[in-house]
Parts: sequence; C-alpha cells; structure tokens
Amino acid sequence: MQPLSPASGEVSATEPSTGSVATPLGGKPRFSWEPYLYLLPGFLVFTIFVAIPVAGTVVLSLTAWNGISWNTAEFIWFDNYLTAFKDGAFWGSLWNNLKLLPFFVLLPAILGLIPAVIVHQGKIRGEKFFQAGLFLPYIMPGVLIGVVWRWLLNPVFGPVNDVLKFFHLPTRSWLGDFTWALPTVGAIGAWAAYGFCYVVFIAGLQKIPSDLYEAARLDGAGGWQEFIAVSLPGLRREIAVVMAVNLIAALRAFDVIRATTDGGPGFETRVLALYMINVAFSANRAGYGTALAVLMAVVTLALSTLVLRFLGERDD
Amino acid sequence: MIRKALVYTLLTIGCVIAIVPFVVTILASLKTTPELVRGVLDWPENAQWENYRIAWTQGRFDRFFLNSILVVIGVVVPSIFLSAMTGFAFARYRFRGSKFLFAYFLIGLVIPLQAMVIPLFYLLREMHLLDSLWALILPQVGMSMSFGTLLMREAYLSIPREIVEASIVDGASSWETLWKIMFPLSRPIVGTLSLLFFIWTWNEFLLPLVVNINPDYHTLPVGILYFQQRWTSNIPVIAAGSTIIFIPLIFMFLLFQRQLVKAITAGAVKG
Repeated sequence: MQPLSPASGEVSATEPSTGSVATPLGGKPRFSWEPYLYLLPGFLVFTIFVAIPVAGTVVLSLTAWNGISWNTAEFIWFDNYLTAFKDGAFWGSLWNNLKLLPFFVLLPAILGLIPAVIVHQGKIRGEKFFQAGLFLPYIMPGVLIGVVWRWLLNPVFGPVNDVLKFFHLPTRSWLGDFTWALPTVGAIGAWAAYGFCYVVFIAGLQKIPSDLYEAARLDGAGGWQEFIAVSLPGLRREIAVVMAVNLIAALRAFDVIRATTDGGPGFETRVLALYMINVAFSANRAGYGTALAVLMAVVTLALSTLVLRFLGERDD
Repeated sequence: MIRKALVYTLLTIGCVIAIVPFVVTILASLKTTPELVRGVLDWPENAQWENYRIAWTQGRFDRFFLNSILVVIGVVVPSIFLSAMTGFAFARYRFRGSKFLFAYFLIGLVIPLQAMVIPLFYLLREMHLLDSLWALILPQVGMSMSFGTLLMREAYLSIPREIVEASIVDGASSWETLWKIMFPLSRPIVGTLSLLFFIWTWNEFLLPLVVNINPDYHTLPVGILYFQQRWTSNIPVIAAGSTIIFIPLIFMFLLFQRQLVKAITAGAVKG
C-alpha cells in the first residue's frame, strides 16, 4: 500500500548520516535540541489540560474545598476518604456499578461469542455486511442511545411494550420501575456492545491456524469439543480484551444513564460517575468529589488489572 | 445446509436488533405523533420535514451542529499535527529523558476524563475559558496526545530505515523529512487516528455537559439531552434531533467501514 522509494536499495547507509537529524537509530548520540522542540507543543497542551488536572484531582481530594472560595481549600488529608467510607450513597453507587457488570461485561461477551463461533465454523458470504450492521451501535454516542431507548421503552407510546404485548409478555414502565430500571439500563449497555464483541471474536477466530481444527477433528472432536479445546483457548487474548473494555465501560457508565434514568427511580440506577458529578457540581463539594474520582479510578484500575492478569496479559 | 440457514438467521436477527432502533428513529422523525402511535414500523404517509425544521431552529440544532463541526475540526487537525511531531521525536531520536517522557505521554491511556474533569473545570474557569468552544477543544487535544503519540511513533518505526536515510543524505532537514517523507508514508495510520479522534470528539458528552452551561456553546450530545427534556412527549421532533446526530456517523461509517471497525477495535484497547 505504501509507495516504496525507488532509491531505497542504493543509498543505504554508505555515509553516516551527518545531517541535522541528531541520531538516526544506532548513530553516535550527540546532544540536540531538536527532539525537545518537536515534543514541546504537544507536551504543553498535554501537561496543562491533562497532567495538571490529574494531579489536581489527587491534591484536591485531600482538601475540603467547596469549589467556590479558596478559604475552604484547607488540607483535611484523608478525611474525604473516611467520609466516603461511611457514605451510604457512595457504597450504593458502587454497588449499582457492580450490579451492571453481568449486563455490561458477560452478556455482550456471550452474545458476541456464540454467533462468532457458529459463523466461523461455516464460511458464509456477506460477512463484512453483517459485521457492519452489528457494529453500528458501538460508534453511537451514549446519550443518543439513551434518548432513543428512552423513547422505545416509553410506557405509554413506546414500541417495546407493544411488541411484548403481542407475545403476551408482561409490559411495564421499564425505566421507571424500581426493580427493572437497572437491568433495563444494563440491557441497553449490552445491546450497544455485543456487536463489538462479535467483531473482536470473529477476528480472533480467523487467526487460529486451521490445522488445529483439523487435528481436533481427526481426534474425533465434535463441534462442542472443538469449541472447548481449540476456539476458547485460541481466543484467550480477545476474551481478556473484551472483558476489560466492557468492565471499564461498566465502571465508568455515565452517558446512557444520564440520558435515560438520571440515576432514578429513587437512587436505583445512580452510579459512581453520576454521584461524583453531583457531589462536585450540584452539592459544591469539589474536594469530596475528587476523592470519589480517585476511588473510582482505583477501583477501575484494580478490577481491570485483575481481569487482564486472570485472563492473560495484553501484548502491547 | 441447515447449519447455513441457522448461521444466516442468527446473523440477520443480530443485525436487525442492532439496527432497528435507528431505522425506527428515522421513520419516526418523518411522521406526525398520531401516525407514530398507530404503527412504529409503518412508512410515513407524508414526510414531515417540519420536525427537522423545529429541531433545527427552535431546538437550536443549527447552532449545536455548527459547534460540533467546529470542535471536531479544532480537535482533530491540531491533534494529528501535534502527534505527528511527538511521535516523530520518539521514533527518530534518542535523547535524555525520552523513556520518561514517553511514559508521561502515555498516562492519558489509563486515566479517563472522569478522573480529571473536576479540576479541569476550575482550571478552565481560572483561564476564563468556560462557556466557549476552547473549553472543549483544548482539553480534547490534550487527551488525544497519548493515543496519537503512541500510534504515530509506531507508524514511523515501521518505515524502512533506508527511505529515511536517503532523504537525509539528500540534505533534507528533519522538518522536511518528517512532513515530506514520513508523514505521507504514514497515511493509513493518520487516517485511522483521524477517524478515531472524529468519533471520540463528536460523541464526547461529559466535558461539554460540565464546562459549558450557556447553550450557545453546546454540542449535539448535550443539545439532544436538554432538547429531550423540553420536548418529552413530541417524539417525532426528538427523533429528528437524534437523526441529525447519527446521520453523519452512519455516513462516516459507510465510507470508512473497514478502517473504522479496525480502528475502534484497536482504540477500545486504550484505557
């Protein structure tokens, strides 16, 4: 795809490169400002708008700042974390995130894995077409997904209840029901992600050498045994990636929930991100809000590391 | 044979479930409310373009759309430009602190916006940038640097050394080598990155929600949220607003489908 330079063969390093490029890999190191100049603009933007805020989160989490007057910005050290420890709303929100895990993590992975395995075992036409359709929800903004599903699930004129009625299944106000709101939000998350899982799995399956399958077949393995002995181990890395990505999505869930239930009814779907934003900006507790942000980051990092460790490391 | 039928049925069902909400939304956007209540899947009798007019003018989607476009351009172009340079520094030079600086740039891969949005808000307030498009552009350029640097560095490293050395021997400066040789040779990666930055920026919701209260500076995702709250029962109009947001995405998707699926799958691993 990339045009090769016609002269590539001849001009190879006959002379040591003495030009202004400081040290083309392997040359003798010579000090030059050049690399620093190339880094400078990106470094500045990154430092000001990413690194400083990240450091700010950690520092502010040790203060009682209300976000308005600097007088309140005194250090209270770990008091915010102690507050969180005793804060029922924090634990409740975290628990809601955890309750989303089966829906955001397992359900789409299974819904993506089954068709991927079946499709892989028999070659089909128009596969790219199906992939595109399945993948579509994954590129859509979470808010939009929320807005659309909120309408589809509307208890009065939403089509979902119509469909359920047609099959004589129970209908209700899915997003307004204390028992069903969280599973419904979870189902929306699963809907948005299963196509993505499918695409990752089918790509992984295609990388498994076909002689492994032939060997399994020669040993008299049936479809199921083939799946257990060849496909599943071959997909180890893909499964780890999908699980980690979905897990992170579940722990950071915000957009879809903000647009569907906004944490309700009651606090049934209030997740950490929603609680954190409310604490910081509606309750004017910037210090406590940042402490929640730190806790969220720690939980996410710990759980995703665990998943990746458990299911095999990532290779980059 | 039965197996083939099963495979196709399965895939069709999967696809239909994935796509139907969007199809239904487009149909709804062209109907009147009573028409919509009668049948969701029915073809609209007379296309009600009025719904789009309401969303576009009363719902201020004209403004939100323009803002979204401006922010996307303001984020994607500088992000590509800056990552092209940072990636170049890490791929072509050995210098003091390069390991540390590279690791520093990569912090962004593991830290989500949520973990820094609160101080970011106050930082932007101190800089008097709240309620402006800069409040959306600058932080998102910063957040793009991690993934951009990583990918551009990899792209440059995969260019055969002879090509680069030939250009140096020809007396090209490093600046010329970067923009005339290496950047053009990295087109596929630049394309992938641009697509990812486009989608991430177009879809970003938390940042504009937090930093811009004035609706003059809302982008489409925040716009549709407040729009939905105001027009709760007028589904066709909400559907029209939604369609305005996802049509550009579907368009992009159809144009760059293969690259996009690959890019997102690669990009998802970030974080």
